[in-house]
Amino acid sequence: MDLFELLNFYVIPGIVLGSIYALGAVGITLIFAILRYAHLAHGDLATFGAFVALACVTAMGVPPLAALPIAILVTAAIAVGIDKVFYEHLRERPKIVTVMASLGIALMLRSVVQVVWGVDTQTYSRGIVRPEDYFGLRIRDRELYTVAALIVLVGGLQLFLTRSKWGKAMRAMSDNPNLALLSGIDNRKVVMLTWVIAGGLCAASGFFLGYNTEIKSMMGWHMLLPMFAAAILGGVGRVEGAVLGGLIVGIAEELSVLVIPSEYKAAMAFAILLFMLLVRPTGLLKGKVL
Amino acid sequence: MNALLSMESLTGGYGDADILLDVSLHVNPDEIVAIVGPNGAGKSTAMKSVFGLLTIRGGKMLFDGDDITRWAPNRIVQRGICYVPQVDNIFREMSIHENLEMGGFLRKGDLSAAYDRVYTLFPDLKERRRTPAGSLSGGQRQMVAMGRALMLDPKLLLLDEPTAGLSPRYMEQIFQICRDVRDTGVAILLVEQHAKQALAFADRGYVLAAGKNRHEGSGADLLADREVAEMFLGG
Amino acid sequence: MEFLGLVNYALFTAIFIAIYALLALGLNIQWGFAGLFNAGIAGFFAVGAYTSAVLTTPADDGRLGGFDLHFVLGWIGAMLAAALVAWPIGKICLRFRSDYLAIASIGVAEIIRLVIKSEEVVTNGARGISGIPRPAGDIGYTESQIAYLVIVLAVLIAAYVLVERQFNAPWGRMMRAIRDNEDAAKAMGKDVEFRRLEAFIFGAALMGLGGALFAHFNRSITPEAIDPMVATFLVWIMLILGGSGNNRGAILGAAVVWIIWSVSEIATDRLPHEYAIQAKYIRLFLIGLMLQLVLRFRPEGLLPEPLRGDLRGSRRTTKSGADHNQARSTGPEIDL
Repeated sequence: MDLFELLNFYVIPGIVLGSIYALGAVGITLIFAILRYAHLAHGDLATFGAFVALACVTAMGVPPLAALPIAILVTAAIAVGIDKVFYEHLRERPKIVTVMASLGIALMLRSVVQVVWGVDTQTYSRGIVRPEDYFGLRIRDRELYTVAALIVLVGGLQLFLTRSKWGKAMRAMSDNPNLALLSGIDNRKVVMLTWVIAGGLCAASGFFLGYNTEIKSMMGWHMLLPMFAAAILGGVGRVEGAVLGGLIVGIAEELSVLVIPSEYKAAMAFAILLFMLLVRPTGLLKGKVL
Repeated sequence: MNALLSMESLTGGYGDADILLDVSLHVNPDEIVAIVGPNGAGKSTAMKSVFGLLTIRGGKMLFDGDDITRWAPNRIVQRGICYVPQVDNIFREMSIHENLEMGGFLRKGDLSAAYDRVYTLFPDLKERRRTPAGSLSGGQRQMVAMGRALMLDPKLLLLDEPTAGLSPRYMEQIFQICRDVRDTGVAILLVEQHAKQALAFADRGYVLAAGKNRHEGSGADLLADREVAEMFLGG
Repeated sequence: MEFLGLVNYALFTAIFIAIYALLALGLNIQWGFAGLFNAGIAGFFAVGAYTSAVLTTPADDGRLGGFDLHFVLGWIGAMLAAALVAWPIGKICLRFRSDYLAIASIGVAEIIRLVIKSEEVVTNGARGISGIPRPAGDIGYTESQIAYLVIVLAVLIAAYVLVERQFNAPWGRMMRAIRDNEDAAKAMGKDVEFRRLEAFIFGAALMGLGGALFAHFNRSITPEAIDPMVATFLVWIMLILGGSGNNRGAILGAAVVWIIWSVSEIATDRLPHEYAIQAKYIRLFLIGLMLQLVLRFRPEGLLPEPLRGDLRGSRRTTKSGADHNQARSTGPEIDL
């Protein structure tokens, strides 16, 4: 196999898949670091976002990419709503209770999708898209959009976290929650902001998975493990780590078919997760260990 | 002179257990008051009670004319009392400057005067303002912690064992900084494990034991008191 | 005939409740007493089901085994296999907060699902394994159901007695101390990790046994027999509603939730076909909502403290309006 074959058939799809994982993993890592629990409904929230975009495409006839901002806004609002209705009152209880509640939310979100949109596989647009040739690299437009969206969204998030007052407040809450409260930072606003960001990114993740492959009700659940593997690989609380982790998990999954049967592609994320917990639970970029 | 803070016959604790029993103390403007006493005497608890962090079952607390006995911590912060915990008192992963910025989170408008004041008090910090606070030495971290608390321009600063784990050289430095802070018009109430040193430098002191007031007076008087010396200061 | 149908339906329901109660007991060891979050119950269940299937079926050229062993050996094998899967996962994850175990156990269940689908040599792939011998299976239908119910109940009671005894022993008190006081747990250091591992492995073994009981009851096992998320979730809601930390609560929860679950199925089965599929998902939504409501309004469950519960009263309600054939119509599915 020559280099271009390797790049075209494994690395480029890996980067695209990794970008999709990264979008979700960033939200997981923020929730893990700021709210301090593992959010098991993250995958199904991504599914929900993908279907909201689908609804926009079918109902309003807009192109898929134009539906993305709407899906981001709607999913962010839903995420805030879920927190208000189901998670907020559990805040004083052990965090693991919220983990359990989020497993229930995963089931509820999925069944809403299945009731409203059914269980059949769907797509944003029909027809086969042929990749363009860039000096021997074969890349589809939608793949470029996926990576570009990751760069824009996460770049914007980084600017927000490092430059704005409320972004810094989020970091402070992740760093030392008691001191943040002593400094007068409003916890409720930080929590809400976290859900807006995590929900929005989640929708983007689900959208691009659907945009590059298909849309189905179980798509998000199957992304949950890779997203968590990415967040832990990068280091919990590290946005740039989640991106790095997402890309590594995505590329590793695509490359794995060279050495193990393709049925076990999904096991890659699990192997990475266990390996990191075993040798370096703080992740590549020294994140938190809860 | 009217006291800035006065705690009157305060009884309370965490949950159902009372740790403070009828404790009274006051802090005047422009003075440093030290609370000393043996382990488990309720020193830190007395300080946390000011900050609304425990259940109060009796007595009251007045600050600058307001009854703050049952106020929430964030309201107390805004009223002008800042608290520096003993441990975990900085944002480790944020730069020194960001630590200060978080300290001034509640303040509206231009913070440059507040930054100037802190950087004047702690010139070491100014040079390293972009450094993550977690990479600093113990004494410097304590400076960041105090600097963060000063950003809100409090009238009263609460310090929980500010010299714990510091070398004698740093201890002296922290005490000197406390005097400098006091001279800018901020009263300080601190809890100290190093009773002798603390009483030597504080304007006044209280000795607590088993959750009750035992002795009070100027630092020098307490140090000279035989009973205090024998019971609490290890001779 | 009508009466016989009711009896058969009641037997069928009771066997399912007993199997689920065993799973809930296993989860109670892990969650109720040790605070360990296992979101991969279905995985351990499947390992047990397939292990016993391979061990007890007659030899088959297309796959590994079967070894034609006695069913008791199959069940022991099921417990050992589930424990063996639990061991490395627990070893790696129990050093951390239970969130990590939750994620890893979801992973385990996924991997097990993949293995079952792909490793045809062992599991016969999508066709599954059939011809699993059922103890006392060669007598009349109703008699056989009764006999199996007796066996399953005997297993359940044995498990209950053993688990209950452990909980009241120093081991149980220590587990609860570890669960409730993170500082005390830390002070005990390595020992805590080992205790947690014990709890995780014992719990998993019971889940494996539950899987084996299910496989022998159905006489076959296929990858589609269990919807991992639904099975896992049902066991969770059973334990939380029944009262985590209380073994009788776990059993009561299994009965209550299973009855609600199957009655709701009977209700939705009567809907016109175009709504029936959606109704299935509405039931899932409601069961998720039920968990949220229990967590919010009755987190301690129905039986918060050990108490003299008599479960027969609540089991009797299973007979109401039941039709045996409808329950069987969906075939060997545990989630239904």
